[in-house]
Amino acid sequence: MKSRKTLRFMDSVVTHMILIAVCFIFLFPCLWLILASFSKSGSIYSFDGFFPSEYSFDTFRMLFTDTEMYNYPRWFRNTLFIATMSCLIGTFLVILTAYTMSRFKFRGRKAIMKTTLVLGMFPSFMGMIAVYIIMTQFGLINKMWGLILIYSSGAPMGYLTQKGFFDTIPGSIDEAARIDGATNFQVFLKINLPISMPIIVYTALTSFVFPWSDFILPKLLLKEKDLYTVAVGLMSLGETEFARFAAGSVFIAVPIVILYFCLMRFLVDGMTAGAVKG
Amino acid sequence: MRIKNRTENPQKSVRVSKANKKKMQSESLCTAVKNGGKQVRASMCLMGLGQLLYKQIGKGILYLCVLVLAAFYFVKRGFADIAGLFTLGTKEADTWLGIEGDNSVVMLLMGILSVIAALCFILCYISNIKDVYETQKRVERGGKPATFREDLQQFLDKKFYKTVLFLPILGVCVFNILPIIFMIAIAFTNYGGTIVPPKLVDWVGFNNFVKLATLSQFSPTFLKILNWNIIWAVISTALNYFAGLGLALLLNKECVKGKALWRAFPVLAYAVPGFITLLGFKFMFSYGGPINQIITGMGNKAVGFLDIDAKWIARIIGLLVNAWISVPSIMLLATGLLSNRDVSQMESAKIDGANAFQQFRHITLPFVLFSTTPVLISQFIGNFNNFGIFFFLRGGLYIDGYFLASDTDLLINWLYNLSINNNYYNIGATISLVIFVITSLISLSIYTGSASYREEDTFR
Amino acid sequence: MRRKGYRFLAALLCAGLLAGCGAGSGDGNDGGGAQDGQNTQTDGGDGPDLSNIYSGELEQNVTIRVLENDTAIEQGYFQELIDAFNEAYAEYGIVAVDANMDQYSNLADDGPYGYGPDVLYQANDVLMKYVDGKHIYPIPVQELECYSQIPERAWEAYRREIDGVTYHMAVPVNVQTGMLYYRKDLLPEDWETAWDDNANGIPDMIENWNDMYRFSQQRMAENEGQFGYMRSMYDVYFSSGFLFSYGGYVFGSNNTDPSDVGFSAGDSWMGASVLLQQSELMNEGCIDDTITVNAYSKLADGTYFATMTTPDVYTLFLKELILAYQAQGMDEEAARALAEENLVMTQVPMLPASADLSEENPELIPLKTMGGVNGYAISAYTKAPNACLAFVEFATSYEMVMRRCELLGIAPARSDVAENRGGTSEMIYQKLEEGNVVLMPSVTEVDQIWTPAQSFFSDLAKDAFREPGEKKYDDPEKLKAGLAQVDQQIHDAIFTLSGQ
Repeated sequence: MKSRKTLRFMDSVVTHMILIAVCFIFLFPCLWLILASFSKSGSIYSFDGFFPSEYSFDTFRMLFTDTEMYNYPRWFRNTLFIATMSCLIGTFLVILTAYTMSRFKFRGRKAIMKTTLVLGMFPSFMGMIAVYIIMTQFGLINKMWGLILIYSSGAPMGYLTQKGFFDTIPGSIDEAARIDGATNFQVFLKINLPISMPIIVYTALTSFVFPWSDFILPKLLLKEKDLYTVAVGLMSLGETEFARFAAGSVFIAVPIVILYFCLMRFLVDGMTAGAVKG
Repeated sequence: MRIKNRTENPQKSVRVSKANKKKMQSESLCTAVKNGGKQVRASMCLMGLGQLLYKQIGKGILYLCVLVLAAFYFVKRGFADIAGLFTLGTKEADTWLGIEGDNSVVMLLMGILSVIAALCFILCYISNIKDVYETQKRVERGGKPATFREDLQQFLDKKFYKTVLFLPILGVCVFNILPIIFMIAIAFTNYGGTIVPPKLVDWVGFNNFVKLATLSQFSPTFLKILNWNIIWAVISTALNYFAGLGLALLLNKECVKGKALWRAFPVLAYAVPGFITLLGFKFMFSYGGPINQIITGMGNKAVGFLDIDAKWIARIIGLLVNAWISVPSIMLLATGLLSNRDVSQMESAKIDGANAFQQFRHITLPFVLFSTTPVLISQFIGNFNNFGIFFFLRGGLYIDGYFLASDTDLLINWLYNLSINNNYYNIGATISLVIFVITSLISLSIYTGSASYREEDTFR
Repeated sequence: MRRKGYRFLAALLCAGLLAGCGAGSGDGNDGGGAQDGQNTQTDGGDGPDLSNIYSGELEQNVTIRVLENDTAIEQGYFQELIDAFNEAYAEYGIVAVDANMDQYSNLADDGPYGYGPDVLYQANDVLMKYVDGKHIYPIPVQELECYSQIPERAWEAYRREIDGVTYHMAVPVNVQTGMLYYRKDLLPEDWETAWDDNANGIPDMIENWNDMYRFSQQRMAENEGQFGYMRSMYDVYFSSGFLFSYGGYVFGSNNTDPSDVGFSAGDSWMGASVLLQQSELMNEGCIDDTITVNAYSKLADGTYFATMTTPDVYTLFLKELILAYQAQGMDEEAARALAEENLVMTQVPMLPASADLSEENPELIPLKTMGGVNGYAISAYTKAPNACLAFVEFATSYEMVMRRCELLGIAPARSDVAENRGGTSEMIYQKLEEGNVVLMPSVTEVDQIWTPAQSFFSDLAKDAFREPGEKKYDDPEKLKAGLAQVDQQIHDAIFTLSGQ
């Protein structure tokens, strides 16, 4: 009994040690970036080793006040708008698609599954030329909605992960509900949706993060500086603007971290597994 | 019970064997044409007319609208676009003389779009005939034609999947499939090099493939890069996947308190956009970067982590940096999945005396593996085509013994050097096509052989 | 604003992705009858007749979108320019505005679809790429006031012959090339006696690379972690000049024939050996872009004595130096005055004809440097070509170029401005006239030279830090072979896939 206890204690110690190491690995580069953004000199080469020698809030103040050339607040608003809309529409489409592909057996289903898998393998930058021309023909250059359209319509391509999730939810409850006379739409809305929170949160996070940090598409489709997203804007910074770059990069991570903490609850205890199985 | 899609009478089809069913469906159009009454023939002449004759006003008008819209589109530009697909333009633009001219690339794209539109129209037309035939059979059996309301309700129930998949499929067609078809078409043209709009592009058949096959510098580099690319894809997929899963399991342990906080660290990494991470790491490993400052500070010689001689060091750094970027998202996914795990199974296993490793090996792993096989495959594909890592970390370098590539370049980086950097879109498209065929065959065979594809019900 | 080698990866990536959506290249004479219009006639020495493009009548009430470079916008010059223009042309209702686009945006991508600017200010290699697809209009430069003021060599960068007619595609404004930056206060105190053999008041290490080499050695010996001349070697823009000085070139036939790549031509290996000797007196930072990025702060803190870069970043060096002086306890005004006094930008030193930097009293030859000419061009997709022409004429007038010089510290292409400004502007202008500025080729194929040459230069720099047994470039034959390999790679990149 005693050895069991020590074993458990040892296990806990080892676990925590690994966790601390892992957290350090993930934290360190981020910490470096955060501290760099508070550097007073603005140049990374005046650092002592990893960290700046002097700190100040100037870069952050500059980031939000010195907007003549680099209008960070505006980039931020643009990005927030694009990412939020793409996230809402994209998540909706992905979840529905995945659910359908998991629950309905219809003609052409396996074909669709194989096709989507294969399509993902085509080197994407080759298709950019086509995307650009399509957007010019539809008059969607310099329009944020054009970008949202592309992000959200591309999202269902990644439904396989979500389908894998729905595959693990037993069909027995659906059946019961259907016997009670619910339509398929109601079954989805009332029964499956509530227990799918973890995967919805995961989907929402990924479909928010992608437009949030992508710079190829916005660079391609948004020509006007006023429409820049943060990623494009940061890439257009001059070479000596490192502190501003770091500050911009740090600030861009804030919404995602907040989003994560808000959604964490759903991610972890979204579903009480035992209740359904049995 | 799963809802089966049948256009025929459900009672009848239960009796039909599976093999026959498929045959039935492909033949249903023929039988409709053969056995159809006057309403079916009316619909064959004019979309929606049959429905109108059955007093299905709403549906009939919808079909008519589709017809009118299609006719309008094809007269206005559809036919011209299809013709343009063959000619790819006949008049060269000259801005100096004010000649508007044809843009071959736009014509190619719009041509493909109009072909897709034509296919959609044909599908609509067929569905219109089938629909009337369906009604006819229903009336023959003594039923009434379905009202518009009933039809609509079908779309929330039996045909729910059609309703749901309509938008995604439309979007994917326009923004994913159309560009891919476009690129495949490009592989058969001479678009690239000096021939880009306003110059007129032409179809050249298999010339590009012949050119690639006969290029002597090509194959040694191709094999070397392919070799490294496969190693890279396998190792980094395995590394990311197991590290992510391991982390999720570790955080799932009972003894770990404050899980949300622990998890926040990897999420922090996840929150920083990839390109910023890559630029940051590039700087860290550069000669003037902090790591080298520490090394030289201790009196050692600076290490060229990413420089021209750094083959394996650079490759390993690439693997680790990629793991740093990808592990958090896999961890999040695995966390979500683990919360969906059947706890009772674990409990009973524990009672049976299984140790932690056995529990993992026999219960958790199969479960997670099952539901994440698609993720694993998409990770593999993503890593196989991971453009960013070495483009940012070690771009702009050609190494001896490689044809316009460096020893860390993946096929996609090489493709970029060869095609985009040099404007040879046709060659780029050709190589992509070759790579695409190889990779899709591999992953398709893995996928169709996997449990999560064949036995979707395993964990229900 | 900057040179090619510096563009951010992102810009490169996207520019690359799209360069083919509309960008063209080639000789442009296979279009059949289309080109036989009025353009073929040559009108004596006055240039081609462009009356079908420019009617000569100003469009009324139009808005011209102008793409300027970021520095000009940042320093407020551009605002002054459009304000002055809008005032002068108010009676016609012509308004010039900022195109509000990325300074590197590609007209060939945007123009044909109606999203491009009307007037663009970009570098010659970029602008001349637009000619093949006729994305920009030729300009009747002979009619412009600035024509006679701009030297032949600058015009050359914008000249293109199409169907036997010579056109000028843009108006040169600013010449960019490598300059030497150094700190006067880091010179030895006794330089006037010990380091000025010819007693001309200019320190010897600024005049020739051999004394710079000696001085670098001395600084390193004095204090560990302290250097003399520092420069990232991989940068083709600065390193290739050393090859050119000993007979190398980019493309044959005056930079127009891409089938003849000349990085290994003449005795260019001697230039490579000079670079190798210089690398030996630097740290590993010369292998990657470390020195390029940290030169601003390292020059300011006294770690480096000198570096080579373009004139447009003068303000960045100055800013860092002022900060450094302030950190030493000076107030801002004094720091600025001292920084302006001590930070010197001047022309690059002379090279030894023997390529041996340790030689005493060598025979000297000038160091050629790669350069570019930035200028204004008119988009062929503009609705108001005459108004655009008026804008270009206005922006290239003496007053505006002078103002540009004052605010941005650029080297003007106009001789009258260069003369009146004196200093660096005149130096670069002189250098251009003497043919010691090798302009970037104005052909599309120039895109292919960067990666191969860059790989070679960083390999060369790395060689200075390899162990004795592992050195790759320890004799002239190996240098020659390395350079020949560069030529081959460039040739491959251009021609392997193009075989029609």
